[in-house]
Amino acid sequence: MKRAAVLLLSLLLLLSQTACLGLRQINELALVTAVGLDIGDKPDTVRVSVQIIRPADARGQTGAPSGGTGQPIYSISAEGSTIFDAIRNLGRFSSRRVYWAHNFVIVMHEDYAKKGIEEMVDFFTRNHELRMSSWVAVTPDRPDEVIATITGLEVVPGEAIDRLFRNNHIVGRAPASNMMNLEEAFLSSSTEPVLAKVSLKPRGISNKKPEEHGSLEQVELAGAAAFHGDKMVGWLNSKEARGLLFFLERLSSGIEVVRCPNNNSEKLSVEFKEARTKVTPSFPNNKPHFRIQIKTNADIVESGCGINLDQEVRLETQKKLENQLKQNIMSVIDKAQNNYHSDFMKFGDVFRNKYPTEWQSSKKNWDLMFAKATFDVEVKASIRSGVVKAVGTEIR
Amino acid sequence: MNMKLKMQRVSQQARTSNQQSKFQITNGMFIAMMVNLIFVKAIGVTQGVLARSIGQDMWITTMLGMFQGMVVIYITYLVLRKTPDLDFMSLAQRLLGKWFGKLIALVIFAFFMAGFGPVMLTFVYHIQDYFLPEAPLILFFVAPLLVGALGCYYGLEVMARLALVGMLFIFLLNVLIIIGSTNEFDIRNLLPVLENGFPRTFMASLNYDTDWAFATMLAAIVMPSLKNAGKIGGTTGLIGIGASGLLTMIWSILEGAVLSSEVTSQYTVSCMKLARNAHIGTFLQRYEMIMIALYSIPILFEVMFFIYATSVCATRIFGLKSNRSMIPIVSVILGTYGYWIVGDHYRAINYLEETWPRIALPIAFGLPVLLLILRLMLGKKLNKQS
Repeated sequence: MKRAAVLLLSLLLLLSQTACLGLRQINELALVTAVGLDIGDKPDTVRVSVQIIRPADARGQTGAPSGGTGQPIYSISAEGSTIFDAIRNLGRFSSRRVYWAHNFVIVMHEDYAKKGIEEMVDFFTRNHELRMSSWVAVTPDRPDEVIATITGLEVVPGEAIDRLFRNNHIVGRAPASNMMNLEEAFLSSSTEPVLAKVSLKPRGISNKKPEEHGSLEQVELAGAAAFHGDKMVGWLNSKEARGLLFFLERLSSGIEVVRCPNNNSEKLSVEFKEARTKVTPSFPNNKPHFRIQIKTNADIVESGCGINLDQEVRLETQKKLENQLKQNIMSVIDKAQNNYHSDFMKFGDVFRNKYPTEWQSSKKNWDLMFAKATFDVEVKASIRSGVVKAVGTEIR
Repeated sequence: MNMKLKMQRVSQQARTSNQQSKFQITNGMFIAMMVNLIFVKAIGVTQGVLARSIGQDMWITTMLGMFQGMVVIYITYLVLRKTPDLDFMSLAQRLLGKWFGKLIALVIFAFFMAGFGPVMLTFVYHIQDYFLPEAPLILFFVAPLLVGALGCYYGLEVMARLALVGMLFIFLLNVLIIIGSTNEFDIRNLLPVLENGFPRTFMASLNYDTDWAFATMLAAIVMPSLKNAGKIGGTTGLIGIGASGLLTMIWSILEGAVLSSEVTSQYTVSCMKLARNAHIGTFLQRYEMIMIALYSIPILFEVMFFIYATSVCATRIFGLKSNRSMIPIVSVILGTYGYWIVGDHYRAINYLEETWPRIALPIAFGLPVLLLILRLMLGKKLNKQS
């Protein structure tokens, strides 16, 4: 009797432990690698474009492998009154069930971003399949074109954009915005979101027709889209984005081009590295003030000046680098304060951390207070070397 | 003489209904049981509740709650110190008679039954919302209750050993989440400290108190099975609550610093939000499935212990000799109640944040204090009896 009961219980256990519920076979899924969001043709609708990978054709080679079509991706779009509705409508065209877990990037059109991204943030964070590390960007071009453009060496465009973002810290001309930091900034009371800008540029050279320079469009990652609340308020160019990164991502290295001390028409390339940013808030006369200090080392990595890089050149170049970095920072602060009235550089965060009591009373009208805030920017650069070449002494 | 015989019978009943006559748990097992019982809900849903009430100071509220738990577990130990072979129910019976013992059993039964709602919502919302959204809800009740009932049938030893495995898995889980989250760690998200003032932060810690309440009630039932409970019960209890608090604080610090309190506050199961954000380098992403596998043992232990605790209490209420016959009955009662709570997210969240603290806190704080007072008042009577 006891054995029979245990046997019965074990069978019941086995039945309840089967993994067949919720089963989804990989060959029945449409693996999305990039998403585009735009305003639909009909009023008050949204257009969702998805780039779906063809596993048979995306095995790391171009051309048509046996049994494949030669096209590593399949792109479709659908419209709906909400994102969810549009995605359900994608099911009318896609022979497989749309699966989001491998999505690399979400690209929005600037018109869509200007209408408000609350719905988008909510949908993609509510979706349990989506990676929170998916990159998010805004484009002035058609998002469906951006996500379908093959850039670089990658076979899948979504993966190519993913690589652009992953290597972004080397170029440092756009924020590495993903769902995780977008959601954080979107929900924060002391900062505003800022997203990377991607755009199509005719920079590719066809192997077959090299004389037609720029015949192939490539995706460029440079610049940023500034938001106030959930609405995009404007663009930041790549120089302003460089200034922004000191605050958002503690940018520590990058290349700056400065004029030669002896000849204004020639240039020097300077690589700054180990940059450290410090923001110190104060609150004199109930008006926020921020002291921004940046200290950085630098190397001269290219010189077209035709002179010995002696001590005098060193000091002069240091000064020029300092001014240039300061200008980058001042221009983005100016845009945030006067053009966009949006604190996307996290000054509110810094102020709140130093003055929590004052923040309670000022958070409601922080936009006004931020517009009146004053800034001191101090950049201290120290050029250390000319990389492999001797500096400071001439051939005697 | 007659009285003495009666008291021996009470102790005997305590032992047989707890199935402890053959097996005594070690202090390591006792600590592991406490950690398993607290950790699951504390990282699963409590951190979200704390973020909603106190923002980035959730790690401070967890710490404050931990200290309160340490005080209460020590009071629980003081209650049982001189009669380590008695649990709360047997002690109550010896202090004020059979009816009082049954009343205390009923209160503890009600505590564990009411607590099954938050436990199951933690379990179900983890698995169903993030992994198996299309699976029927009933599956998430039948499977753990069957496993729980089976473990409970084999007694305290099986549960205690499972808790040790669960403890190891909790360590691994914490190691994985630390490695996967350090990259995005931003200490500025934890500032300013005590932004809402100390009184409000302290009040918010009551939400974490509902988690260690499980452990003090566990001690109220299981401490007689602990080896040398009279000597080491206090220290072991303190270590159990302290270890649970520290292991939980790792999550509250990470959730605050990596996700920010604003993001944490948006989610029912905030730890899953952190888990799905975690990645080791570029190529090892989305390993929350591994983490949920590690999490499953502590949560199964929790279900198992709730069946055990309610079956022991029911045994005392009905004056039965063994709790085994009550296991299927309480499993059905717990399952039905849990299903009713979990079936509706609105009801579940309201129950978690409003109703459950009102049930848990008076019992968790009140019962040990009441029994300590009675023990001090009627201590002489108890000494005479023994």
